[in-house]
Amino acid sequence: MTERHRLRSLLTFIQLNGIIPIRTQPLYVLSLLASPLSFLFFIFIVSHGALIQYGVMGGMILTGLTVGTGLQSDLTHYRHDLKFQDVVVASPVEAPVYVAGMALSELVYSLPALAVFVLIFFLEGWATPLSVAIVTGVLLLIWGFACALAFTLATYFQDVRETFLFSPLISLGLTVIPPVYYPLGYLPGWAQTAALFSPTTYAAELVQGAVGLVPVPFDVAVRDWSVLVACTIALLLIAAVKARWQEP
Amino acid sequence: MNSPALRAQHLGKVYPTSKGGKPALNDLTLEVPPGRVYGLIGRNGAGKTTFVRIASTQLALTSGSLEVLGLDVRTQMHDIRARIACVPQEARPLYFLNTEEVIYLYLKMRGIDPLEARRRTKAAMDELSLTEYRKRLVARLSGGLRRRTLCAMVLASDAEVLFLDEPTTGLDPIARREVWQAVRRTIREQRTILLTTHYLDEAEALSTRLALIEQGELRLEGTPEDLRARVRYPYRVMVQDPFPREELLSYGRVADVEGGHLVFAREADAREVARRALEKGVRVSLGPVSLEDIFLEVVGRSIEEDTKPDEVAA
Repeated sequence: MTERHRLRSLLTFIQLNGIIPIRTQPLYVLSLLASPLSFLFFIFIVSHGALIQYGVMGGMILTGLTVGTGLQSDLTHYRHDLKFQDVVVASPVEAPVYVAGMALSELVYSLPALAVFVLIFFLEGWATPLSVAIVTGVLLLIWGFACALAFTLATYFQDVRETFLFSPLISLGLTVIPPVYYPLGYLPGWAQTAALFSPTTYAAELVQGAVGLVPVPFDVAVRDWSVLVACTIALLLIAAVKARWQEP
Repeated sequence: MNSPALRAQHLGKVYPTSKGGKPALNDLTLEVPPGRVYGLIGRNGAGKTTFVRIASTQLALTSGSLEVLGLDVRTQMHDIRARIACVPQEARPLYFLNTEEVIYLYLKMRGIDPLEARRRTKAAMDELSLTEYRKRLVARLSGGLRRRTLCAMVLASDAEVLFLDEPTTGLDPIARREVWQAVRRTIREQRTILLTTHYLDEAEALSTRLALIEQGELRLEGTPEDLRARVRYPYRVMVQDPFPREELLSYGRVADVEGGHLVFAREADAREVARRALEKGVRVSLGPVSLEDIFLEVVGRSIEEDTKPDEVAA
């Protein structure tokens, strides 16, 4: 395949798994908006508006992670129920093109939710060149992390129902216990320790710092970026090694 | 002589999950000539799909070798994938696409230029009588139309070798024949098709060569005429009642069927049975054995009978 063919192939996956399903069933968009906006609404009500900034920044991270959850289900469904992956394997399409195309297609579903958060982000006056750069960088890393996790897990799932089992657990470990929607200091001591094992804790600290919610000194920022980059690279490597394109 | 499209030598496959290491394929050696339909027949669980999955690079082999278009499936899989297409058994098209999108997007996914993909999509839909369903969502199609859409998808591709794993399962007789017609057209384009099926009439109607697989092993291989020549009794004589069964036993194998007896015999004996039946004024018909008869004789069971779990690995 030439680079042009690869690009055509990649765009086809975005069209096939991202654009056409939304065109066929627009409720997908509403469904994917529901989860982060519900959290935002809940936090707004409980904190009487005091934690709205945390809610917006947390919503962005959750939206990035949702891409992974959707991807995990789609990959498992396409592989086991529809045998679509077998059709793709027996074709000129290379595994990285399929992986990238599917990962980007899931991003299409998240765009409306991201658009809402970005709009609030700008309307509230939190946008500066630095904050925009930090938030964009963090979201890209979270997206890469979520996709790599999805590919690794989807390799081992035999049935789409298994993804329903794992998704809430992953959500608990990556968005509920870590201080994505609130300051780290709100958590009890044991939860603060547990949160340190989740890369989203570092992502949250960076985006909260970007809009001035928490102080993030330079050495802490370096640590946070390092953890996020390392986790994403490690998971991408695991996905590359473990993900099965050809069955043994 | 053209080099074979597929060449398997002492091919073996043991699934990692197989209890007791029972092979799904065992020492399989065969060659598929180019530009022809090659039929792989066998009961469910005989090893047909395992062979297709290895040849189409979806599954790793355990032992032996397999070449597709002269390329090794272990070391040159990327080159092979550029030249093949496959409809896996039990595959279903993505349900949120319409029929036209399934074919068109598959072609684009393979890197085919959009204009050319449109032209091929239209031609394939016409060929398989899918045009009236072109804007219908796959979710609203019958099982048969879904299978036909998948067949149209790979037949429209630029692949040199096509793997069709049970392509007409679930199709009505008319739809099956439309798929056959499309397969024949593909062959006119000098492409190779490896067809697995448990419809023996389909295998015989389409294939120039056939391989009969049972419990992962090759039992018979050749043209339909070769297969007939290699069975003990290549002719069948249907003798209507009344004809004493005992008088038939010395000519070959006798099976009792409704309203008469079916005699499997060598040519001379078959002619003799027919002559005697005519002398007695009994209705008789004589002809070469069917593929189903050959299957029964070689395997000892009907092709419709599933392989038991203890007979072969998963």
